[in-house]
Amino acid sequence: MAERYRADILVSCLHDRAPDLIPNLKAEVIRRGLKDEVRVIEAGCRGFCSMGPVLLVEPNGIFYIGVQPADVPELVEETLVKGRVVERLTYEEPTTHASIAYYEDIPFYSKQERIVLRHCGLINPQSIDEYIAVGGYQALGKALISMTPEEIIDELKRSGLRGRGGAGFPTGRKWEAGRKAEGETKYVLVNGDEGDPNCFMDRALMEADPHSILEGLIIGAYVVGAHQGYIYIPYEHSGSVKSMRTALEQARDYGLLGADILGSGFEFDAELRLGAHSFVGGESTALMHAVEGKVSEPRPKHIHTTEVGIWGRPSCLNNVKTLSIVPEIISRGADWFGGIGTETSKGTQVFSLAGKINNVGLAEVPMGITIRELVFDVGGGIPKGREFKALQIGGPSGGFLPASLLDMPMDYETLADAGSMMGTGGVVILDDRTCVVDTARYFLDFLRDESCGKCTSCREGIRCMLEILTRITEGRGEVADLDTLETLGHVVKSVSLCGLGKTAPNPVLSTLRYFRDEYMAHIEDKKCPGGVCKALIEYYIIEDLCNGCGACRRKCPEAAISGEKKEVHVIDPALCIKCGICFDVCKFDAVGVR
Amino acid sequence: MATLIIDGQEVHAEEGQTILEVARANGFEIPTLCYHPQLEPYGACRLCIVEVIRSGRSRLETSCTHPAWDGLEVKTRSPAVIEARRVILGLLLSRCPNVPVIQELALEYGITEPPFPAEDPEEKCILCGLCVRTCHELVKADVLNFSQAGVERRVGPPFLEKTRQCIGCGACTIVCPTGAIEIVLQQAGIYKEKPLGPTAAIWVPSLQAVPNVPVIDIDACIRFRQNDRTEGEIADACGVCQMVCEAGAINFDQQDEVVELAVGTVIVATGFQMWDPAQLSQYSYGKSPNIITGMEFEHLSNAGGITSGEILLADGRMPERVAIIHCVGSRDHNAHKYCSRICCMYSLKQAHLVRDKTGADVYEFYMDMRAFGKGYEEFYERVQEEGVAMIRGRGAEVEVLPDGKLRVKGEDANLGRLVYVDVDMVVLSTAIEAPHDANQVAALFGLSRSEDGFFAEAHPKMRPVETNTGGVFLAGTAQGPRDVPDTVAHAGAAASMALALMDQGEVTISPAVAVVDEELCSACKTCISLCPYTAISFIEEDNVARVNEALCKGCGTCVAACPAGAIMARHFTDLQILAQIEGLFRVPA
Repeated sequence: MAERYRADILVSCLHDRAPDLIPNLKAEVIRRGLKDEVRVIEAGCRGFCSMGPVLLVEPNGIFYIGVQPADVPELVEETLVKGRVVERLTYEEPTTHASIAYYEDIPFYSKQERIVLRHCGLINPQSIDEYIAVGGYQALGKALISMTPEEIIDELKRSGLRGRGGAGFPTGRKWEAGRKAEGETKYVLVNGDEGDPNCFMDRALMEADPHSILEGLIIGAYVVGAHQGYIYIPYEHSGSVKSMRTALEQARDYGLLGADILGSGFEFDAELRLGAHSFVGGESTALMHAVEGKVSEPRPKHIHTTEVGIWGRPSCLNNVKTLSIVPEIISRGADWFGGIGTETSKGTQVFSLAGKINNVGLAEVPMGITIRELVFDVGGGIPKGREFKALQIGGPSGGFLPASLLDMPMDYETLADAGSMMGTGGVVILDDRTCVVDTARYFLDFLRDESCGKCTSCREGIRCMLEILTRITEGRGEVADLDTLETLGHVVKSVSLCGLGKTAPNPVLSTLRYFRDEYMAHIEDKKCPGGVCKALIEYYIIEDLCNGCGACRRKCPEAAISGEKKEVHVIDPALCIKCGICFDVCKFDAVGVR
Repeated sequence: MATLIIDGQEVHAEEGQTILEVARANGFEIPTLCYHPQLEPYGACRLCIVEVIRSGRSRLETSCTHPAWDGLEVKTRSPAVIEARRVILGLLLSRCPNVPVIQELALEYGITEPPFPAEDPEEKCILCGLCVRTCHELVKADVLNFSQAGVERRVGPPFLEKTRQCIGCGACTIVCPTGAIEIVLQQAGIYKEKPLGPTAAIWVPSLQAVPNVPVIDIDACIRFRQNDRTEGEIADACGVCQMVCEAGAINFDQQDEVVELAVGTVIVATGFQMWDPAQLSQYSYGKSPNIITGMEFEHLSNAGGITSGEILLADGRMPERVAIIHCVGSRDHNAHKYCSRICCMYSLKQAHLVRDKTGADVYEFYMDMRAFGKGYEEFYERVQEEGVAMIRGRGAEVEVLPDGKLRVKGEDANLGRLVYVDVDMVVLSTAIEAPHDANQVAALFGLSRSEDGFFAEAHPKMRPVETNTGGVFLAGTAQGPRDVPDTVAHAGAAASMALALMDQGEVTISPAVAVVDEELCSACKTCISLCPYTAISFIEEDNVARVNEALCKGCGTCVAACPAGAIMARHFTDLQILAQIEGLFRVPA
């Protein structure tokens, strides 16, 4: 490496939040004559969405949040020329209001244990040299030169690694089945089709650390005896496609793909396969159909795809996160990995935190963390100090868990027993201003469109469940509907072919289990306790709190609010369309919902 | 060999069988909608679910896709299975509330009303994919597929547009369990609902065919059509008949063969064809599906036909009034001048059948009633007694009225005035005529044709089955219109003549035949086309024309025509004729 720099600015949040940030930084660095001293790097995702755009100044680890192009001159002047921290761009601890300048001290990061995301935002993802500099491809060398496939399988089995795609099948066992499967030609596949609406960890990983996935893939190919791999990514995920494509080219240039990898005699190459994005497209057989060029819909798996996969040949499919973990286990050993997490769920899980939570973003924490720790310690709690109502986990077809389960550890089995699932780790937090019936309805609406439509039970079952939920949220529900929902839900679960149908009723069944009273409130009292379902709510002015500022009156699109200045205002229910603007604009919490 | 337990009973399964196949083979009933034995199982309708217990774990699985593994325990009617099927049928009925198949299945599981509101009450498609799989796996046309996802899922050609890839084979309409796909016939004059025209590509040529075996119509057969259309690229489309034929009797490689037989006699019995009434526009044939020919009436009325012998209108109703028009194309200077001879009697029979089967009023428009044979006049009287109205006079015109009724106009010669009748169905007693390719047959056998187009017999009274070509005889309607008894008699005579000839063993022929002097023959082939008896053939290897003495009648045409003077008529040589002339002119001494 010929060039040496005294500092790196690693910029994350590249996706349209501040498109000018990097050009501005680069221009400023040149303007200040720091071109040969400071390097601006387009790094990957740091996972701290609610604070973006964020950037990290290394080597001292100063972490800036909410950086805008206008902040660039000051930032360069202060931090890179004078060596000082720009206080106003640092993270502020919400409770103590203390400013935290260094990345490692921020609770959101300090409480995480990053294995999958170990390099994300810390290296230049488009440089294989940087990946190698942080120890990349060492595990591949170790695996190819000094380990037999059986030893690797044994190591993975001992580590307890389970597939991170959602189902949690033990990776060691899958690779063992792939190795034992009979066939001249075998394939290894990468599942990069992330479909959950609020999840982006796979994308973040592919964009921020593509080589770790590739390294895991080559090790997997060596283990099962495949010489060809396919990396399936929906073409809409252009960042992932670009990143993986560059990584493949670089690896090929470095001899890490092709014939005689690292002098081991092992031959392997991989190529990208792009498909159209769909939620069900990430299902293993649907994905394999897509790789074959067919309609991406699932088929029965009475015989595992490790035996009969693409083109009828043994095919070993792994999620990007699983593959990324493998090199770490090879390097650091099964005992290290097995020491993290719980008895049955080893290692860490990347959770995507969304909804009513302060620290929206990606957080990687040990398996078995309690909901309380995840939401309040890592996630920073609920905004505006509202009350935690439920946590929905496992993507759109995950179940809802109530506040009474806040101290439940999050691992595969416990979550499943509670009526939810780990899935890919998508988490949505609901506060007391959220209606669970409406939220369940929202997820079913998503699933209705995303079901491939093959199985009667899934296609029509979701439609009919949605029909009932819509009726309930519109105040036309009946008590008997709840039994119908339960019957339908159980049949759809037990009868449908693939994971989508088998989990689609979860949002309904779990809310019926934990929030039945909220359903009953909708049906019997015609009330929406969360104050969301428009047909069942009414906005009103709380007289004691209203000081007659007129903000609500001016904003009301239907002129439904009247009142003299400094007098208590009134909402005319006949004109009110329940848009909720008054509720949002009132600075005195004087607008109520009932 | 795998052993399973289905509903407590031990059954055996072959390698590769599914649970559904084994269960059905052993008499267990499992409902299906998306399954077809000739197609890859798909598992879309989910109706065939059964409880599968394997290593202590019980699951609901689709029996159509699940392999019949050794040691499985299967329950086809456990409470969980019944409950799930009931829910699925409720969902299907809510999608397609007006499809009888779904209604019936739902009723079996106690569902009378759709439990949920339908998005489109007219929806018929249950998205079972049978059509898609048929089009892909069997027809190999790949026209139909699924598009869109979830509740928006549809079946159709790409972009739901007409495509030339579709060969219109109709296989999709046949496999569709709910009648969601229909083929629209754009050709008029054909019963749409119960077509008289189109049929499967395999059929028995006629109901009393001998031998009574089916043939493949290669112009309609999907396999042959796909092969032709794609220039052999899609070579093994369909083949369903071969899959289902237990006797293994289907052979696609069988080709038409030309069989050469050396024979001494030939009986030409090439029959007739029906005259096409569309040629005379006043009969409006083709303008209404209820105007049919006598032959089409026979198809309709036959017990083995498409309506199982019921006489129905195109919309499936029974006719209340039927007109039968005689002499359509016969005794008509615009068509055939001759009497087709059989129409009067078949028209009377059809009038009788209509009266008998439907009780409809029947009107016969006739010019003369030619009830010419034994018992025929008596039958005519009987039909009259049955109440058939006889209107003496040609049915002049058929008009299709705006309400679909048909108005038959004509002159009642007995009353001496114009009449019309409004009816539901018109049967045209069309003429019979010589087959369209009679010319080729005539040329092949050296036959001549009379003015009416039928083959001419050697003598109308004395030699009614012989032709001018020795050893070639005529039988039946090839010679002229006749009904079945007359045809049988005529054919018997032809057979006797042929046998008598063959029985001689040796045939005495006239010595006066032509002979070619091969030294002189210039191989111009002029004689070959001139010989009315096809007695001269060209011998390629010797490059000369040669006369078949058994066929030659010694007419002398070739002798006169031969430009090289190479043909001589034996016993009529120039020398002999000149000598005769000389003899004639000799003055007795």
